[in-house]
Amino acid sequence: MKNSLRRGAFALALAAVLGGCSGKASLEPAQQSGSAPPLPKAQNFLVPPMQVPDKAGWAQGQSPKVAAGLKIERIASGLMHPRQLYALPNGDVLVVESNGPGSEPVTTPKQLVAGMIKGNSGKGDKGGNRITLLRKAGGAAGGEWTKHVFIEHLHSPFGVQLIGDSLYVANTDAIVKFPYQSGETQISASGVAFADLPGTINHHWTKALLASKDGAKLYVGVGSNSNITENGLEVEYRRAAVLEVDVATGSSRIYASGIRNPTGLQWEPQTGKLWAIANERDEIGADLVPDYLTSLQEGGFYGWPYSYYGQNVDDRVVPQRPDLVAKAIKPDYALGSHVAALGLWFSETNALPENALPEKYRHGAFVAEHGSWDRSPLSGYAVVHVAFEDGKPVGAPEPVVTGFYSDDEKQLYGAPVGLAQDQDGALLIADDVGDTVWRVSGDTR
Amino acid sequence: MSSRAEPRRSAIASGLYGLLNPIPFGCFVAALIFDTLYLRSGVALWNKGAAWLIVFGLLFAVIPRLINLVQVWITSRVFATRIDRLDFLLNLFAVVAAIFNAFVHSRDADAVMPAGEWLSVCTVVFLSISHLLVAVQSTRLKGGRP
Repeated sequence: MKNSLRRGAFALALAAVLGGCSGKASLEPAQQSGSAPPLPKAQNFLVPPMQVPDKAGWAQGQSPKVAAGLKIERIASGLMHPRQLYALPNGDVLVVESNGPGSEPVTTPKQLVAGMIKGNSGKGDKGGNRITLLRKAGGAAGGEWTKHVFIEHLHSPFGVQLIGDSLYVANTDAIVKFPYQSGETQISASGVAFADLPGTINHHWTKALLASKDGAKLYVGVGSNSNITENGLEVEYRRAAVLEVDVATGSSRIYASGIRNPTGLQWEPQTGKLWAIANERDEIGADLVPDYLTSLQEGGFYGWPYSYYGQNVDDRVVPQRPDLVAKAIKPDYALGSHVAALGLWFSETNALPENALPEKYRHGAFVAEHGSWDRSPLSGYAVVHVAFEDGKPVGAPEPVVTGFYSDDEKQLYGAPVGLAQDQDGALLIADDVGDTVWRVSGDTR
Repeated sequence: MSSRAEPRRSAIASGLYGLLNPIPFGCFVAALIFDTLYLRSGVALWNKGAAWLIVFGLLFAVIPRLINLVQVWITSRVFATRIDRLDFLLNLFAVVAAIFNAFVHSRDADAVMPAGEWLSVCTVVFLSISHLLVAVQSTRLKGGRP
């Protein structure tokens, strides 16, 4: 009898723990895209779903898959965690090699365990803390571009913008300004501190950067300091927000808030409106909460942490704020849950040379999805294209570049992050797991 | 566990048991206090402190629980009293509740509550009853002698 009691207790414990592990996704990312994504009921887990493929890197000659009518080539390899790309006016391309500053203390047993598991994917590898300049090798088309170390000794940089002859680099804790002259392959001048950015903890460390067309303002995407305020509300000051920095003075204000992790900012070419991609909260379900692409309204509040997708209240936050929930703006376009959108690029609609992208990719946004860690099956790990009509996204995101992980979802070859377009109109993709920069163009053969 | 002299008991095992067995109880009581402070204040620090206490309480419980398992059900089986066996089971329930609680405490922010508080209460109640029973048994066995 005692033995059966003991067995019963163990069986119960096992069943409950395993029960907590389940939580497989029931919606495809495409099903959860668009302006009105279905949102299942939020749930809490004993063990949140977690699936992380192991880093394998790209084999010789191996590359991601591209959609029909496109070709892909490697233009740089052997980089140190390339996160962001920026095309200079003379055709040179800057690659920001960076990763988190590692300044977030381990304050819970979960962080200790999750950090070890997530590290296997290679997403946590050390960044170069530098910017490398890529220049197209003269003459014959194809082949890797030449690499020049452009700026060194940065502090977890992410965003880069050129205004006139000043290059602004967003380190994780401050914007630094460098003098730049067209054609140079190295900046040896030390940067001048330009504006402070929220720099404590840096749970979300990337600081996306975008200059206004007139060069008078810089917009900075600042991610939250937690998943859902588990580090306390006091460390969320000026976080989960897009800041507007005055270029003349360096002073800043909150332009839009309640955006958990705005990792990419761009101007929509038709309307000239500011758009952002954002990563939403984790651990309330494999199909919650979809990451999104949205236009930003000045002074707008987008819900984090109190609610998601408008007025869907997150009851993990104390105190609750019904007044703010009532104001929360629903994002324009869902990309799918946990895809981890980290790169945004509106394909330019102006004159493109003959080897540019096919016509269907010239009106809309490319989004690089770094890929999920808390969802099974995996989602993201792709560059998708969202078509725009009259300045608004339409239809489902269409995969453009895929094949970043093995068919059994065990091995990770690469993960797309920053996006840019080169002078010929080809799409450039930074791959921070494969330590490579890819170039995608129309297959004219 | 009974304090009756039992010839087959290892001195090392008893020493280890005496040294380590009180630690989990202390950790779990402290976790309950932290959980209650979190519920009253909403300050995340208490919540995180409780999560560590529960994990360390469980780690420290491994060796004394194994010693107790072997002594009650194998080596000292003949000598074990009903209270000894009850003590074993209450500890088992407490450990199971604490394992659940460790997972519940891995949730973010207020998702820990109220389940975390109730599981902390269960763990402490199971252990308190077992400690009381063992204390009363030990007094009885001494038969009132000083």
